[in-house]
Amino acid sequence: MATLSERQAKKITDTLLGAAMVPELLVSVRDRSGGHVRFARNQPTTEGDVETVEISVTASIGGRTATAVGNRSDKASLEALVAEAEELAALSPVDPEHMAPVGKGAYLQVEAHDKATAKLGAQDRAAQVERAVAVANAADLEIAGFMSHREQSVAVATSAGAFAFASDTQASLTTTCRTHDGLGSGWVGVESHRGSQIDAERSAQLAAEKAEISHDPKALDPGKYVVILEAQAVADLLSFLVNALDARAADEGRSWFSHPDGGSRVGEQLFDTSITLRSDPADKQNPARPFTDAGEAHKIVRFIREGVVEKLTCSRFWADKTGAPAIPRPSSVLLDGRDIDLLELVGGVDKAVMVTRFWYNRVLDPRTILATGLTRDGTFLVEQGKITTAVKNFRYNDSPVTMLNNVLALGRPQRVVTRGGQVMVVPPMVVRDFNFSSLSDAV
Amino acid sequence: MRATGVAAGAGVLWPGWARADPPGAREPAPVKPPSSGDLSLLAASPLLADELLAARALDAAKKAGASYADARLVAWRRERVSVRDDHIRGVRRSSEYGIGLRVIADGAWGFAASPRLDAKSIDKLAKRAVAAAKINAKLRREPVELASVSPIAGRWVSPHRVDPWTVPPKDKADLLIAASNSARAIAGVAHVSASVDAQREEKLFLSSEGARIHQLLFRVRPSLTATAVDRRRGQFASRNHEIAAMLAGWEHVEDAKLVDDAAQIGEDAVRKLHAAPVEPGERTVILDPSNLWLTIHESIGHPTELDRALGLEANYAGTSFMDPARTGELEIGNELVNFVADRTQPGGLATCAWDDDGVGTERWQLVEGGKLVDWQTTRDQAHWIRDKTGDKDGHACSYADSYSSVAFQRMPNISLTPGEDGKTTEDLINATDDGILISGRGSWSIDHQRYNFQFSGQFFWEIKNGRLARPLRDVAYQANTVDFWHSMDMIGGQGSFRLGGSFSDGKGQPGQSNAVSHGCPPARFRVNVVSTAGQERS
Repeated sequence: MATLSERQAKKITDTLLGAAMVPELLVSVRDRSGGHVRFARNQPTTEGDVETVEISVTASIGGRTATAVGNRSDKASLEALVAEAEELAALSPVDPEHMAPVGKGAYLQVEAHDKATAKLGAQDRAAQVERAVAVANAADLEIAGFMSHREQSVAVATSAGAFAFASDTQASLTTTCRTHDGLGSGWVGVESHRGSQIDAERSAQLAAEKAEISHDPKALDPGKYVVILEAQAVADLLSFLVNALDARAADEGRSWFSHPDGGSRVGEQLFDTSITLRSDPADKQNPARPFTDAGEAHKIVRFIREGVVEKLTCSRFWADKTGAPAIPRPSSVLLDGRDIDLLELVGGVDKAVMVTRFWYNRVLDPRTILATGLTRDGTFLVEQGKITTAVKNFRYNDSPVTMLNNVLALGRPQRVVTRGGQVMVVPPMVVRDFNFSSLSDAV
Repeated sequence: MRATGVAAGAGVLWPGWARADPPGAREPAPVKPPSSGDLSLLAASPLLADELLAARALDAAKKAGASYADARLVAWRRERVSVRDDHIRGVRRSSEYGIGLRVIADGAWGFAASPRLDAKSIDKLAKRAVAAAKINAKLRREPVELASVSPIAGRWVSPHRVDPWTVPPKDKADLLIAASNSARAIAGVAHVSASVDAQREEKLFLSSEGARIHQLLFRVRPSLTATAVDRRRGQFASRNHEIAAMLAGWEHVEDAKLVDDAAQIGEDAVRKLHAAPVEPGERTVILDPSNLWLTIHESIGHPTELDRALGLEANYAGTSFMDPARTGELEIGNELVNFVADRTQPGGLATCAWDDDGVGTERWQLVEGGKLVDWQTTRDQAHWIRDKTGDKDGHACSYADSYSSVAFQRMPNISLTPGEDGKTTEDLINATDDGILISGRGSWSIDHQRYNFQFSGQFFWEIKNGRLARPLRDVAYQANTVDFWHSMDMIGGQGSFRLGGSFSDGKGQPGQSNAVSHGCPPARFRVNVVSTAGQERS
């Protein structure tokens, strides 16, 4: 079932704005239609075709603000939602940090909707499952995985004249192969706005290969190692740094980006000169949402250039107060790399631990963005440019800040699987002195 | 409440939030009923108006070839009021309503969900779910098997005194701002944030076997965090209030005395800033219930999920170090270690009267004298473990977090049984020559088979010669699950038992969120203590 067209979405936002009694209104509608299938133990388990709608109204009067969210789009429900938001706002205390909704603005043109992906259904999902399972059966491995796809329309409008609309599609497939004795495991994940990028056979083959090589791992002592982090592992750590790119926390002394004498460390060389971190929602291969839920435009932003911090995200309130430019939390994160294959990176190191991905990552210390987590589903020893053996999984205690300072080499950036809806395209990386703090028996 | 009374030893560390529950009843009365709130709240439910559509969905599914179907009409309401320092940060209410239809056709599951509740949409939904099930059935190696249960007609309301939706947001914000101001009055406290989340979950479950179950649940989660900043040294420290989320009404927030406790939280934040760094190494730790509940969740809760142990979650959350084939013999701790799973526990976030398969909830032993004896199961998992446990119809652990989510096995409340000799926290401290008392929930991380974990906390006291000596900072404990539960050598009694809990236990693909509680007394362990302080920058 097709999600809302721009005209249909605008009809809803117009109805909401038209029902307003208060001077300031921010409204949005998100309509999603998608499907998913899980498989495990070499067969499908559960699946679903799901439609969801989310309609949000934020009403403000005299600095009193509140938000009401519902999922019914008939006229009476829309009017009731506006009334609820208005009633809640009137009951709420004044917010001294209140900002009026954004006005009419320009948004980047983004091509993120793929017709074929919007039409995927149960038959297409099952076909992918069948191909993945066939690979695992042929290799005498256990396979589990998840395929999902969706089409989405989002519109945001304000009483100050802003209107933004975007429709997009997304598909993803993650696969895990395990040996029957439970001693080997390999994972592969693919995500794109184009379902055609998903090839269950190719994914399953790679996961199977990893499962087989990871069998019967050798225990290395915890300590500092040169590591080859695959793109997914880089992204798992990098996202903590992206979250810390906040001007207000820095200015208030609550962040790694805080300057000891007050203010932030914008303008300082804080990372290796090979590090350039950008956001570009209009990227052709990996498009992202060009506006926020509040109707703010996502622009092309360079946060870090050749190791120098150029910009931090900044709320409209904090921008107004400090004179810094307002930059919302990015919808796309691009870390530049070099046109080098992962296997070429492997070939270039003398001794290193190669990491497929990290798991259960948590920040330990926001002052240093020190984090912990574990390696998972494919951790190998590389010697003289070749994978020689599997190694037991490690717990790491390290920081993305250190990672971006200790870079030895970067590979070709690729799209990774994320959970929060942010598009992340990052390179695999060779990093020195990465701190593995203990061993884990988990496979 | 299975636990009341004030923790001894250092009352300042533990706000007294444990409260008695109002009495009630479930219709019809099960063997061990969780108490119910006022059932008349269900009589005016708007869900009743769509009951015929739900029944139509079941008929349409059967007509399309389903051998089993259930329909859930689910209405969620959520509210969040949050403040920062002396002002409001946000008031947000959301509601969501729709129908989820689950079917079995040709031995495979199918599911379809929509917020569109009209006859035409419902008929389409049923066709879609059955068609998808039939497609997947061709790839099934064995058919889905549901344990036989008698269909129930029942109603239940979670016990509460004050419906959170009857309290105006301004009153909520005023209470939070008052608490925030009381913490901010402490010199050195730079920022305070506080919030209350409230949930109202209502569902009407109908099955093709004739079940009809109507339930309404309220949950609340208050929180408060004070941050102290020492700009000169480039340091900051945060301290969270240890108050637990509960299956309860607004009374839980009022009774918690946030305003009274907030100054202490502020003082703790400042103290943390000036606390001594921890010396890493093998140490004795006493874990307060406000800390230990999460360690139980991660190290015992997740690995005893049967689907997980059998590989159904391998692609996301992982598998389990516990092997179902070794049920009844696998040692995961010493003889002091006993765990009970319980979806009828008063105040427990996972408590309800019937699960989302329509099976009556219960209480059962998971670990007895250190040995794994049973699992978390659902109706469609019962046959996987029946020969090991003798359990016929599963343990009613099915849950879906929305109309649009597929119900599957989710964690019940799982609690550590207190010791019989009635020890208090103070007894544990007095008996410890050299150790660390850890309270509150800090950063946590555990591997995907649940062996290796590392947990931090909110506040850390060094213990010397049976006394709290001085506050420490940057403490985390790292251990292997089995070693950890074998090292437990002292445990508090019934009077020191507390519930902790989370609104957001994640599992499944697409990811679903489950609310769950864990109760425990304080207990003493031997662990590897690590410092979480990163290198100070130059």
